[in-house]
Formats: sequence, structure tokens, C-alpha cells
Amino acid sequence: MPKATQFKANSVIYFQGDLGDKIFILKAGKVLLRSQDIETGEEIKELIATGEFFGVKSALGKYPRDETALVLSDADVLLFNVPEFEQLVLSNTRIIMKMLKVFSNQLRHIHGKVQNLISNTEQADPETGLYSIGEYYFNNRQYKQAVYAFSRYLTYYPSGRFASNAASHLDQAEGGVAKTDSSALFAAAGAPTGGGRPTVADGRDLQAAKGFFEAVSLANQEKYADALKIFQRLVSSNADPEHSAKAEFEVGRCLVMTSHYDEAIRHLTAVIQKYPKHPDLKDALYFIGRSYQGKNDFTWARNFYQKILGLAGEDEPVAVKTRRALRELEGTPS
Amino acid sequence: MTLDLSLFNRFAVTKKAGEIIFCEFEPGDAFYLIQSGKVKIVKILGDIEKTIDILQPGEFFGEMALLEEAPRSASVIAMTDVKLLEFNKANFEILMQGNPQIVLNLLKLFAKRIYDQKRRFLILKLDDLQARVADVFLMLDETSGKTADPMDTQRVFPNSVEDIAHWAGLSVQKVSEVLKQFANQRRVEVQQGKIIVRNIMDFTRFVNSKRQKS
Repeated sequence: MPKATQFKANSVIYFQGDLGDKIFILKAGKVLLRSQDIETGEEIKELIATGEFFGVKSALGKYPRDETALVLSDADVLLFNVPEFEQLVLSNTRIIMKMLKVFSNQLRHIHGKVQNLISNTEQADPETGLYSIGEYYFNNRQYKQAVYAFSRYLTYYPSGRFASNAASHLDQAEGGVAKTDSSALFAAAGAPTGGGRPTVADGRDLQAAKGFFEAVSLANQEKYADALKIFQRLVSSNADPEHSAKAEFEVGRCLVMTSHYDEAIRHLTAVIQKYPKHPDLKDALYFIGRSYQGKNDFTWARNFYQKILGLAGEDEPVAVKTRRALRELEGTPS
Repeated sequence: MTLDLSLFNRFAVTKKAGEIIFCEFEPGDAFYLIQSGKVKIVKILGDIEKTIDILQPGEFFGEMALLEEAPRSASVIAMTDVKLLEFNKANFEILMQGNPQIVLNLLKLFAKRIYDQKRRFLILKLDDLQARVADVFLMLDETSGKTADPMDTQRVFPNSVEDIAHWAGLSVQKVSEVLKQFANQRRVEVQQGKIIVRNIMDFTRFVNSKRQKS
């Protein structure tokens, strides 16, 4: 139960620096809170109004009192411990909202001051910061995280200072994610199924998975011509049904990257017809767009890009890349 | 903490282990309550990804978004598959009506944050770089939660130079220089993964003298 207490004029309810878990409501009389401005050291005086709480922040946050509570004229005070206080405010949520507003203001104020001091010393601007986070994860081969950071970068700063680097690293990081996924598959292919001995077929799958893995790795190092050869072999030998759809898509990507645009368009169109639900469908469309762009056929490039935007969610990496490509096309005849 | 959160299913978000929930420097307009799983709060400091904190079910993150749409001050990555509740300014009232206990917890968190930020401000306001670095150790000692034997004034901090640089708002290089000066004076010893302060009371006196002057 909250306790009613009387304090005489000129007494102190608590001192700055005291540890205390009590919260107070002023019922009658005059109480003054005295503290110092942390910036200037100037004294701050705040008179508590009747019915007002004090001592809340330090009690709830479990830290020393920020201020000294001085009684100016005889005061009646209600004293709560933290559980009693919680019970009271939970049945009267307006008090919580009001306090939250007061605390938010204080927090925003002090947070702003801290940020000011930090930016005076050294702090990357958000644009550079976000890009360098992408770079960090990219360089450490944490591709999933890199993909996230680069796509966010391109969403916020589509024509930013690092946009072209972010876009090309995004491409490579996506390849890296594919590689990690395929290495998981590779591990699965290597694992004996049902406890049986590995069969010849398992061995062949293993070889194929390994080939796929290698080729993706080559593509990530921008050795597209070498990667293309392996992907083409995998597709024609049909040794790896698990990866054949992926490999066929990769053939298309490598064709684009080696500037074989007509071939790329033919190939990717066939892939889309063969696998209408291909997981990389939107990327396939993107690479067809890139091929048309490479051939300076801007109308068709634009058509494909716009189709992607109709299919992809706004935040998908492929949508980010596509919007970027569309901006490159601005000013070209339609 | 057991809370009935079934009311809030429409705010539920799930993330797989390893996925980024948000990235440092991104603008933020949402804050999160963890329902299940764990997340880590990280910052890239120099060439390392530093884990600042690990949060559990019942804990919040991103709560500054309630106050301002400033860039996020750290990245949050799912450590396990996680289920989160995502709130923003607009649907905050619904949270309040449905579960005032959560908002009360948020109030407590704000109280703690105000204190942390004030303490941080006091560190950053010191112009003397040695004092600033020393004050970071004092702050770490105050918040370690350990009540040490008052006679034992040596402290071992499980922190790296990068950590200290982060709190001091200084470059790693600057902080290394300062620590080298302290080491030469035999006040500090830097070891792999930890920093030893020989006499924490000496640092208290040192910081107080510099703070009064400024």
C-alpha cells in the first residue's frame, strides 16, 4: 500500500546521487527539484505541482537520483514502491502515456546532444556508412548480409555516390548467396541417403554439384567465359537435374556478361518458356533487358524492365537493380 | 515474462537465422518486440563486426524510431529464427490499449536510456583525450553491475580498443595512442581481449580534476 508521509519545510526528501526505489506524489505543500544542466552546469529549479509524480525516472531505471528534492513548505506526500506504482498506472494508462511523452522528450533531447558531440568528432554520413557496411559483409563473404545492405543502399540512394559499385557488388553478392545455397545442396548430395552406401548415381550427382559450385565461383570472380563453358557442359550432359534449371539460367547470365546479347536473349527466352515458374524468372527478364540495352535497343529494354517492376516487390534486389537500369535509360529515345 | 500477445498477430514478422532486420544508417520508422528467438545488435567498427548486445524474448529494439526518424545507430541480425512484433508511431495506441504492460516496460527502458545517454554525454564533453578514455573505463565499471571489494582497485575489462574508441567517440588510432601513454605510466595494461586498469580510483580522481577545469 502506498504510504502517506509528511515532510517539514526545509527538509530534504532525497539528495542527488542517492539510490532509491521510491516514487512520490505530492498531495499538498511545496517541493522543489534542484539539478544542474549537464551542458552548462547551471542550476535548474523545478517546482512540483500538486498531484504530480517525482522520483519516477531514477526508481524505474534503477539509477542514482538526478536531482535533490527539497521541501519548501510543509508537504504531504504519497510514497510508492515500484510494484505499487506499476499497479497504479496499469489501471490508468493515461499516466503511462503522459510519462512516456515526458521521457521521450528528455531522451530525444539528450540523444540529440550526444549525436552532436559525436558528429563533431567523427561519424560517417549515413550514405557512406550504409555502403561501407555492405562492403564489410561483402569482403567477409557474408553475402546474405551484403545483399541486404547493398539493396537498401540502392533503395535510398539510387543515384548516390557509390551506386554503381553497390549495384555491381550486389550482383556478385547475389551470386555468392547462390553459391552458399548450392554448397548446402552439395553437402546434401554428398550425404548418404537412408543410411545406404553411396551409389554410382550419387557419385555422378556429386561431380555435377561440384561442377556447378565451381562455375558459380568463377562467375563471381567475373571469369564469365570460363564459367559459361562449365554451365553449358552441365546443361548439355543433363547430369545434374537438381541444378539444371539454375545452370540454364546461369548460362544466360554469363552470355550477357560476355556481351553475347543475341544468344543471351534467345537462350533466356527459351529458359523462361521451359520453366515458367523458375525461381530466377525476374532476374532472367532483367538480363534480357540488359541484353537489349547492350544492343542499344532501348525500347525493348524498357519494356522488359517495366515488366519486372510489375512482378517484383518494391524492395526486392531485382527491383532495385531494375529501377537503376531504367534511370540509365533516361534521355534515350523511346 | 509471459505476455498474451495473440492480439497482435497482425504485427508479427518472422526472420530466419542470419537475416538482417535492419542495418545501421538506414532510416527507421519501426520498433520491435521479440516474441521468440534471439537477435544480436552489431556495429562495424573498423574491420570487425562488434556485437554490442544480445536480446531475448520480451526485449525491445529500435525504440528510438518512436521518437525520431533518425538513421539506425546499429544493425540488428537474427541469431536464430525469430518472431517479432513490429510497431510504429501509427499503431502504438493499439499496443497501449491491448497491452499496457509492454508500454510500461518501454517506459522503464526509456528511463534507463536517458541515464545511459547522460553518462555518455559527460564522457564526450571532456576535451582532454586521456580523461575521456579514462572516463570510458569509469562508465564501464559503473555499469558492470559488479560490486567489487572497495580495497581492490584493479579492474579487468573484457573490452577491446575498438570498444573504447566507440564509447569515447575517438578513432581507434587515437585511443591506441592514449592507451600507450597510460601503459608507459603503468596505469593500464592492454592484453589480448582485455584491458587492465591498475587503479580505478586513480582514474576517478584524474577525471574529476579534468571535469572541474572544463
